Amino acid sequence: MPRVVIVGDRNSGKTTFLGLLYAAQVKFGSDKADGFRFHAAFESLDEISGVFQRLMSGSFPDAATKEGIREIAFRLSYPKTRLGVLSRRRSRGASPDPSASFQLILLRSFEDEVARWRSGGSVAHGTLSGALTSDAIVIMVDATSLAVADEEGELATLGKYDEAVEALLLAIKRSRDQAEGKLLYPIFVFTKFDRVDPKVLRRAKLDGDPPEVSKKGSHADYAKRLVDRSMPKTMSAIQSGGRRGLRFGTPWYFFSWVRTEEPLPGRAEKIRLRHSGAIGWEPDYPSDEYLSFLECLAGIAADTRP
Amino acid sequence: MPCALLGDRASGKTTFLGLLYSAQVKYGTGVQDDFRFHAPIQSLNIMSAVYEGMKDGRFPSATLKEEITELGFVFGYLRKVVGKLPYYIRQQNWMHPFSTLRFSAYDVSGEDIEEFIETGIASRPLIQQLLKSVVVCVLVDCSKMTTEIDTPAYKKMLRYDSTVAKLLVSFQTYKKQEYDRLKDSGVRADAPKIYPVFVLSKFDTLRDDVLARLGLHRGFPDNNRARKEYAEALLRVFVPQTLSQIRGGKVAGVSMDKSAYFLSWVRTETHEGMDPVGQAKIVRTGFAPEGGGEPDFSYDEYVNFIEHFRDIAHKIPDEILEAERFQAQVMARSA
Repeated sequence: MPRVVIVGDRNSGKTTFLGLLYAAQVKFGSDKADGFRFHAAFESLDEISGVFQRLMSGSFPDAATKEGIREIAFRLSYPKTRLGVLSRRRSRGASPDPSASFQLILLRSFEDEVARWRSGGSVAHGTLSGALTSDAIVIMVDATSLAVADEEGELATLGKYDEAVEALLLAIKRSRDQAEGKLLYPIFVFTKFDRVDPKVLRRAKLDGDPPEVSKKGSHADYAKRLVDRSMPKTMSAIQSGGRRGLRFGTPWYFFSWVRTEEPLPGRAEKIRLRHSGAIGWEPDYPSDEYLSFLECLAGIAADTRP
Repeated sequence: MPCALLGDRASGKTTFLGLLYSAQVKYGTGVQDDFRFHAPIQSLNIMSAVYEGMKDGRFPSATLKEEITELGFVFGYLRKVVGKLPYYIRQQNWMHPFSTLRFSAYDVSGEDIEEFIETGIASRPLIQQLLKSVVVCVLVDCSKMTTEIDTPAYKKMLRYDSTVAKLLVSFQTYKKQEYDRLKDSGVRADAPKIYPVFVLSKFDTLRDDVLARLGLHRGFPDNNRARKEYAEALLRVFVPQTLSQIRGGKVAGVSMDKSAYFLSWVRTETHEGMDPVGQAKIVRTGFAPEGGGEPDFSYDEYVNFIEHFRDIAHKIPDEILEAERFQAQVMARSA
């Protein structure tokens, strides 16, 4: 079962991301076309349906809900006519099972863990140990933390966070230096992208909204311009290849946001729910980005099959 | 064949069982005589009390509801081949003229379910029996279907959806584990299958604005495919997690694809321009050669519901035999 670890700053939207990923699965898994199916493990469903309930009633996950979410396991499948990535891999002689299981692991307070490890602690005994055997790493980039360095300068780097992710990637690489032909897939997810500072986009000479996820090339270029400048160390760690040991795959990029209502004094921030045709209400979020993310996971599963 | 009946508080579980009993009585005394049923004395006592009350225009009382934890009926369906034989032959016991099916409905308390969901351990016998069910009948209360997202009804439905989805996943997990155990023991068994049945209860209370929003008309179609589409259009909005996990069963190795959909309503007295005070009174039908003085309810839907189990009755025995054979083997090995 491919293991996917999720790293991100505190309050970067990790739990909301998982909640929206589940919401997207429920949406596509119950639609009329019946083109996508998924099964959530019982233990995961217990936690994630709590997040789902909050999102669907217009609230963000609270501290207690966040604390309960550590890892989510699910299995997803596309029917034969729409197998997409899985079908292509299948036709090349991979396993005939058209479904794939995943384990998504949230690394909480990962920066503290990395800092502890860098000051002499052991990576194998902390929560970081989960990352060492992972097949993919989801790097959450909180778009509200992107900033311009100075008046005429470049984008500011994400400093400590960038260093922490770089250190983690190098630690994973080091721990698997005997792993011949192994790939680790980096996936960047920009969260809260609806609140990115417009100055940042202007400096990077980018449009206000990212291209549609279906336009793969321009979508990735858009994201790459932001990642290259804000997380240079991480990118250089990903690009640093070697002939032996673990290699990093070509990064994937996704954007996430969830629109909120106009804030009212004394009231917690509320998610804007939109009426969506045949499925009633849903949070106002980019469901296509999430569907594409799921397809990306399916591709990774097909590649990592023994 | 145990059948789990799942329903939220006040979703109409007891009324559903009362109307099912009422339909069984009427259908089981029809001229055709191809359906018979038997009820054990405990179930009969409760159901006849519910039935009497309904014939008197009353909904089941809270005290009666509390008495129900398990209700059992044995449905008997005249086998097709036997039906063609002369009457005196088909009456012979050695003919086994009826395929039988044990319909047991468990009313499990919310606390029992919560405990099971939280711990993942089926410690209570009732939950253990529930997990063995091959048919899962989910009641979806149409009176709680609203498109106003800030109402308690909307939130209740969200919670109910989560609970049912979790229960279905636990059913799937249990069945898959049982199947794997059978396989490991060298017993050949068919891939596990659960037959989900959705009953849209209190269908007459479904609001026009909800139907209009979803582009649905008020009447429930007759055609099976259209019924499925109609019902799923409602489920997709109000219990999407449940619907997605029903479909997802196949991904987990437990097919739940043979869902069936029924609706239930019972007509109540209304006085124009006035809101009813207290519990509404059930409207009863007039007397006619085929019976009368019965609650005015969706009888045809209940007959369809009973008939739905006819097909299942012909399929289930093999699976039960497999399980029995497995049990026998286990006992022989341990002896």
